[in-house]
Amino acid sequence: MSKSITLKEKYPPGDFAIWIIIYVEFITFALLFLGYAFSRRLDVELFNGSQEILSQTSGFINTFILITSSYFVVKAVQNMKSMTKENYKEFNTKASRWLLFAIMCGVAFLVIKVTEFSHIFGLGINLSTNKFFMFYLLLTVFHFLHVLLGSGILFIIYKKTRIYGYTPDDYKGFETGASYWHMVDLLWIVLFPLVYIIR
Amino acid sequence: MKKYLEYVWVILIVLTVFAFLLGYLKYVSTALVAVLLITTFLKGALVTDYFMGLKDVKLKYRLIPIIWLLVVISLIAVAYYLPV
Repeated sequence: MSKSITLKEKYPPGDFAIWIIIYVEFITFALLFLGYAFSRRLDVELFNGSQEILSQTSGFINTFILITSSYFVVKAVQNMKSMTKENYKEFNTKASRWLLFAIMCGVAFLVIKVTEFSHIFGLGINLSTNKFFMFYLLLTVFHFLHVLLGSGILFIIYKKTRIYGYTPDDYKGFETGASYWHMVDLLWIVLFPLVYIIR
Repeated sequence: MKKYLEYVWVILIVLTVFAFLLGYLKYVSTALVAVLLITTFLKGALVTDYFMGLKDVKLKYRLIPIIWLLVVISLIAVAYYLPV
């Protein structure tokens, strides 16, 4: 009797410490998302009215950018997985190209967000304007800082690929940074419809 | 090269365009919010399974972000639909 067995990895990709951080981030953002959702219930008109000031187009473009950057990062990870001792330099170079695209996406996201923040702050809006903007600023500024850190991490990994620093036996650091970046993408995927679309 | 990543990217973008158009054209009705939340869950699950690579990892680690998504999105739905 033959039996088909699919072997599963024992642990998620990258250093396990990053997964502890990711789980903590999940809890933190969950509290902020739910704080927003349940506060909205108490004053739907205020939330809907304030939401009109936001640009759904820039929210959409930023979602597109982050999803695409995540795709570039996973393509880079695929290159890491395809490495052998004979071709690891070639695959480091290929991965570095994908990473460069991902970093460019990260920078584009940050630029669009800074433009959005300038517009909001230019209108005299701040944390104490009302409950909607308190949550909007807490969520998006906190997420912005994660994108900033994630872009920095991707840049450090990029520099290491340029000196062929990853080998078939050691690319865990690469996967660690990639996992963090996907988390940043995942959080935005929930944030975008919640804050920009649902009314 | 496996092509499934390209398919996943296309699905994610199509669902994002769908969400954007609902908002932009002001079609967000009470019923469509449920559809929007379901598509958000699907997008999140695709990211964790295919981009994070958790579909190839032991089930308990695969389930953690899926359960997180399910709980968060369900509670957002409760907050939206529960009468005040």
